[in-house]
Amino acid sequence: MMETMNEFFKFVNQESDKLLQQALVHSGLTFLSLFIAILVSVPLGILISRRRKLSGTVLGIAGILQTIPSIALLGFMIPLLGIGARPAIVALFLYALLPIIRNTYTGIVGVDANVKEAAMAMGMTDWQILWKVELPLAFPVILAGIRTATVITVGVATLAAYIAAGGLGEFIFGGIALNNSAMILAGAIPAALLALFFDFLLSRLQHVRIKKIKRVLVTGCILFVAISSLYFVPSVFGSKLLAGFPPEFMGRNDGFPALKNRYHLKINTVVIGQALLYDALKEKQIDVISGYSTEGRIKAFHLKILQDDKHIFPPYFAAPLVREDILKSYPELQSTLNLLSGKINDSLMTEMNYRVDYLHESPGEVAKDFLEKKGLYQNPRNGHKGTVRIGSKIFTEQYILAEMYKMLIEGYTDLNVTQRTGLGGTQICFGALTNNQIDLYPEYTGTGLQVILSTPQRVVDSLGGNENEVYNYVKSEFKKQFNIEWLKPIGFNNTYAVMMRQHQSERLGITTISRLVNYLSKK
Amino acid sequence: MIEVSRLKKYFGNIRAVDDISFSVKDGERFILLGTSGSGKTTTLKMLNRLIEPDEGTVTIDGKRHDDQPVELLRRQMGYVLQNTGLFPHYTIEENISIVPDLLGWDKDKTKKRIAELLIKFHLPPETYMALYPVQLSGGQQQRVGFARALVANPPILLMDEPLGALDPVTRQQIKGEFKKLNELKGKTIILVTHDISEAIELGNRICVMDGGKIQQTGSAQELLLHPKNEFVKHFFSHNHFLLQLNAFHLADITSYLQETSSPGKISELNPASTLMEVVGELSSFATAKDGIVFHDEKADKFFRIDMVSLFTAVQQKLNPGQ
Repeated sequence: MMETMNEFFKFVNQESDKLLQQALVHSGLTFLSLFIAILVSVPLGILISRRRKLSGTVLGIAGILQTIPSIALLGFMIPLLGIGARPAIVALFLYALLPIIRNTYTGIVGVDANVKEAAMAMGMTDWQILWKVELPLAFPVILAGIRTATVITVGVATLAAYIAAGGLGEFIFGGIALNNSAMILAGAIPAALLALFFDFLLSRLQHVRIKKIKRVLVTGCILFVAISSLYFVPSVFGSKLLAGFPPEFMGRNDGFPALKNRYHLKINTVVIGQALLYDALKEKQIDVISGYSTEGRIKAFHLKILQDDKHIFPPYFAAPLVREDILKSYPELQSTLNLLSGKINDSLMTEMNYRVDYLHESPGEVAKDFLEKKGLYQNPRNGHKGTVRIGSKIFTEQYILAEMYKMLIEGYTDLNVTQRTGLGGTQICFGALTNNQIDLYPEYTGTGLQVILSTPQRVVDSLGGNENEVYNYVKSEFKKQFNIEWLKPIGFNNTYAVMMRQHQSERLGITTISRLVNYLSKK
Repeated sequence: MIEVSRLKKYFGNIRAVDDISFSVKDGERFILLGTSGSGKTTTLKMLNRLIEPDEGTVTIDGKRHDDQPVELLRRQMGYVLQNTGLFPHYTIEENISIVPDLLGWDKDKTKKRIAELLIKFHLPPETYMALYPVQLSGGQQQRVGFARALVANPPILLMDEPLGALDPVTRQQIKGEFKKLNELKGKTIILVTHDISEAIELGNRICVMDGGKIQQTGSAQELLLHPKNEFVKHFFSHNHFLLQLNAFHLADITSYLQETSSPGKISELNPASTLMEVVGELSSFATAKDGIVFHDEKADKFFRIDMVSLFTAVQQKLNPGQ
C-alpha cells in the first residue's frame, strides 16, 4: 500500500502536465454538459409542474435514460455523432437530466400552496409567481438536484476517455489495462477531488439569499461558462495529424513511449477505446492509430500498416497459455492443443477476423470451417472425463481461437469444455488463470514479456526482438514464476502496428513510421 | 356593491356551489357561514377568480369581474388567508410591499404606509420590518397578513377563515382589534367562517350555506328569531342563548326594562352595546346585586338592569308565549 502511494506521488509528479490538462478537459466536459442539462431540465421541470399530466412521461423517459449503462450510452452515440467531445457531452447531458428535472419538479410542486394562493390573490402574474415565489422557494431543492447531477457527471465523464474525449479517464483506463495502480489512482483521486470540489462550490450557492435568484443565476452562468471553456484550452496546441491510441498502448513500454523514445514521434494524441479505434480512423476523426497486425478491419477499411523500420515492436506470437496442473491431470491435453501449432499465419488470421467482424459469421462457424479445411475437425466425443475451462480476451481473434480449442479438445479427448470468453484484458484474463478460474487461454509472447512479466528494458533489448528467444524467455519465466506453461506457437504474429488510411498514406507518401515522423516535423 | 348571480361550480359530480345569488352592499360586513364542504370558501374564491365559476356572474359596481385581466381585479381586493400565506423568503416589509410594488407605488410612500399600518397592528416597525415571518408568533403573522391585505387601501376585503388557525386568546385579541380598527371602516368585507359566534360578532349580515346552497341570508337577529328552515334552526340551536347575547343589543330589550329616576352611578353601556357586554359588566360582585344603570340618550331616560331582569327580558323578547 505504501509502495503504491509512493508510486502514485512519483507518477503524479512526472505526469503533472498531462494530469493538469486532463483535469481541465474533465472539468470542461462536466460543466459544458451540466450547463446544457440545466438549460433544458429546469424549464422542463417547470413545464411538468404546470402540466402535471406530462410529468409521468417526462420523468419516465429521463429515468430510462438514467438506467442505460454509461458505456452502452456512449456506444449508442458513436454511430450518430462519431467520437470525441460531442458524443461525450451528449451522453453526459442525458445522464444529468433526471436529477435536475425531478428536483425542479419536486421543488416547485412542493412550494406551500398557501403561499402560491396568496401570491395569486395579490394579483401577481404567472411569470411573477414563477420568478418571485416558486423558483426562489424551490431553489434549494433544484440546487440539490444540480449537485447530484454534478457528482454523477464527474464520475461518468471518466468514461469519456473511451471515445477520445479525454479527461481523467485516460489514466484510469490506461492504469487498468496495464495493471498500474499508481496510474489508476492518478486518474481516480483527482476525479473524486473534482467531484467534491464542484459539489462544495455549488453548496456555496445554497447560502446565497434565495430572493436574489437572478443574481445567483447570472453568477452561476458565468461560472459554468468559464469552467466549460476549460475544455478547449488543451486543444489550442495542435499538430498536423491526430493519433488515437487505446489506453494500454499509451502506457506500455513497447507502445507509445517506444514511439516517442525510439522514433522521436511528436504527435497530438487522444485516448480511445480499442473497439472504436478502427472506425474512428475510417471516419477520419483520427489519422493515425495503433492496431494489431491481424485485425480483420485492416482489409475491410483499406488501412495501411506503416512499416516498423526500427523494429521497436516485439514479436507477439500467439500460443496457448495453460495451467501446469491441468496438463498433469490430463496429459492428452498438450498434444491436442499443439495440433494447431504452426497452422495459422498472419493472413489466414486476418482473413478469419474479417469474416467474423465484417461478414458477420459466428466465431464457431469460422473456427469449424478452418479445422475442416485443415482436416483437423472431429465430431465431439461427448466424454465425461473432466472439464477444461477455456478463457479468452474480448476480441474476435481470441473468440475464434477459443472455439478452435474447444472443438479440438471435445473431438480428440474425453474431456468436455466450458468457456469463459470476453474477459476484459490481459490482467483480467491472466488473473483468472492464476486464480484457477480458467485453465487456459491464448496469449501473445510480447504481452507475456512486457505486460505480465514487466521485463526490464535491458533484458528486452538483450532478446533483440527475436521471436524464438522471446518465446523461450517467457516460457521459462512463466514456469518458474507461475507454474504456467506456454505451449507451441500457433504461427501468426499479432504485433502492434501503426496504421493510417491507405488513401492518406499514399497521398502524403508515408509508408514507414520514420517517414511519418519526418512528415510531422516538417513545418 | 357586489352582485353575485346564479353562481355554480362543480368539481366532478360534486356540486360545490349550486346556483347561488346574493348581493353585498358597500361598507357591509358579509359573512359566509357554514360547515366544511358547504361551499363557502369556493364561493369566496370565485369572487377574485382564484376559482373560475362554471356558470353565473359576479359584478362589482355594475362591472362584470371577468371583463378585466384577473391580476388587475385581484389587486383591487385585499385577501387574508387562514394560514397567512406570507412569503417565507421575504421580510415583513417586503411581504407587505408586494401589492404596492405591483401597483408601481413610490418606495417612500410604500415604506411610510407600511410603518403606519404596523403601528396600528402593534408591531413597532423598527423592530419588525426586517424580520422574516418565521421569527413571528402566529398572531403576529396574521396581523402582518391583515396589513398586507390592507396596505393598498382596497375597497373590498376577502377573508378566508382569518382567525381559524389562532389559539382562543389570540383570536379574541385580534377579533377585538378587528372591530375597532379604523382601517376597516367603510370597507366591504366578505368573510368566510365556520364559527357561529364569530359570524355574529363580526358580521352585519350572515349568509348561511349548506350543500352548496344558501339556506338563509339575514342579520344575526333574523336568523336567530326567524330561521327559515330546519337546517338554520338546528345550526343555531347549540348555545342558542349565548348566541342571542351576542346578537342582540340593549336597545332591543329596553322596552322590557324598568325605568329609573334615581340613576346613581351610570355605566358606560349604551343602547348599542351587545347583551354579552352587559353580562360582562354584570359579572362582578358589586354590580350583580344592584344591577347597573344606563342612559338611553334618544329617549333621554335611565334604565336599570340586573341579571334577573336581563334574563327575563330576553325570555320575553325572544321566546314570547313560553
